[in-house]
Amino acid sequence: MKTVIVRPERCVGCLQCRLACAVEHSRTKELVGAIGEQVTPRARLRIYPGRQHLAFPNKCRHCEPAPCQQVCIAGAISRAPRGTVDIDPAKCINCAMCAMACPFGVLTYAPLYQAPDKSAVALKCDQCPDREAAGVKPACVEACKVGALTYGEWQESQQAKGWALAQAVFASLQTPQETEPSPPASISVWRRLS
Amino acid sequence: MMRYVIIGASAAGLAAAESIRQWDPRGAITLISDEPHPPYSRPLLTYLLSGEVSLEKIWLKSADYFEKWGFEVLLGERVVQVAAGEREVRLQSGRVCPYDRLLISSGARPRLPGVPGEDLEGVFTLRTLADWRRLDAALPEGGEVAVVGAGPVGLKAAEALSHRGCRVALVEMESQVLPRLVDAQAAAMLEGELKKWGIDVYCNAAPRGIVEVKGQVQALALADGRELPAQVVLFAIGVTPNTEFLGNTGLAAAGGIPVNPRLETGQPDIFAAGDCVQGVNLLTGQPAYVPIWPAAVEQGKIAGANMAGADRRYPGALPQNSISLRGFKIITGGLAHPEAEDVEITSELDRHRGQYRRLVYREGRLVGLTLVGAVADAGIYFQLMSQQLPAIEPMTPGRLWG
Repeated sequence: MKTVIVRPERCVGCLQCRLACAVEHSRTKELVGAIGEQVTPRARLRIYPGRQHLAFPNKCRHCEPAPCQQVCIAGAISRAPRGTVDIDPAKCINCAMCAMACPFGVLTYAPLYQAPDKSAVALKCDQCPDREAAGVKPACVEACKVGALTYGEWQESQQAKGWALAQAVFASLQTPQETEPSPPASISVWRRLS
Repeated sequence: MMRYVIIGASAAGLAAAESIRQWDPRGAITLISDEPHPPYSRPLLTYLLSGEVSLEKIWLKSADYFEKWGFEVLLGERVVQVAAGEREVRLQSGRVCPYDRLLISSGARPRLPGVPGEDLEGVFTLRTLADWRRLDAALPEGGEVAVVGAGPVGLKAAEALSHRGCRVALVEMESQVLPRLVDAQAAAMLEGELKKWGIDVYCNAAPRGIVEVKGQVQALALADGRELPAQVVLFAIGVTPNTEFLGNTGLAAAGGIPVNPRLETGQPDIFAAGDCVQGVNLLTGQPAYVPIWPAAVEQGKIAGANMAGADRRYPGALPQNSISLRGFKIITGGLAHPEAEDVEITSELDRHRGQYRRLVYREGRLVGLTLVGAVADAGIYFQLMSQQLPAIEPMTPGRLWG
């Protein structure tokens, strides 16, 4: 399954993914139009401020099996053939059972233009089905400028992550013992002259 | 070929049947339910009452479910006897189901307080689809309803009835709504919402009896002498395990069927799961009756696997409730009123946004949770609680994420 892979170590917390996500899930799918819509479009992923200047992008992992799907008392959560876990706003009863089950805390509850008769429905990442049908990357991935959100087959991404980690460990083992930082050129020259 | 018989075809029974099928593709699985309809979502009954959900949306499984999984299902059949010696389950219809492994997941039924008049026509409980049909048909248009018990079911029912245009009085014996689940602060916020919707809340009020004229309910009489006019009285004061049919088999005790961590009962090859089980609290390890849907599903899965030869343990139930009334959400979990003195409680109230968060720690581990308003992170807290992970040092409210 193709999915969005998060690399928190690269995230700078610019929130452009949130903006792109909200726009993608608006009626007009245009920033200018989205701002004026009657039902304010919401972003489906959140960026938490993290330790050591790391921001942490958090979104639905489309778990298998999905705890939210197992506890949904309205039968609104299902797995789509493309592998994603989807919420049907027409069936959602806004009971918050899924928030209780989600180990990653990715669910929010807000009005949605597709369900005008409901005060709120459960919202989370749907991995941009319209964009996928058109063969385009999800909106958040397209918006990410630092490679913190990437899109691809998850096995390949996991493998790439593993490689990167292995190489980093290997490189750190090979680095020579700490050396004194060399002083600026002007000082070296002055020392040589004196 | 192994013959599996499951008494009850709701949360625990269905989870067990599917679990058995995963471990034993060939065994014969028979589910017995005393309800005439296919399995439905019991928590949705209150949503059905309010009209938020229509009848066709409450069925849990597709029409060809039993056929597809290869289960035999006996609907509308009541079990009258479990003969452990003969390894048989006897039904009211005279039918006999022999078993090699038996699961009792007979669930629970609503309790009644034992006051005069509670057997009248206009007195209801809400547990089954039949209960809903009877209540739905009897509801007076714009009439007065008294709901007794301000637990999750009573609250949702009260909200649903007021949504339907009834004038609702909510009666609670304790000093606040949701007495077992939340503290006074969260209860006060909830009571504020209820008042906004026109629901009258009567706390510290015990029902004394039902006032009737010629069999018609007129009012609910309270112990302090007050009478609340009502044409319909709904009792939602908790449930009690369905274990009568077990008779003198020695399987059942007062608070339900005792089981070991493998969910085996005292008799060989008889297992039990769901609301009919005595239960253990995951956090305290002490006996605790936790009749909630997620615990029933989990127990069903484990009991089913063990029936088919696995060796899985059930560590205990983590109490958890999600109460959502017109977009006002409360999620509670773990211990609400821990008795131990070594607990540390941190709470954070945001009056402006109507949000409240209360975390209970014991020995550096999260053991209790109340979230009001902002509930998105609930699942993360539940992971911390269910796995009993040590809390990161500065995990004070508002600082979970640094």
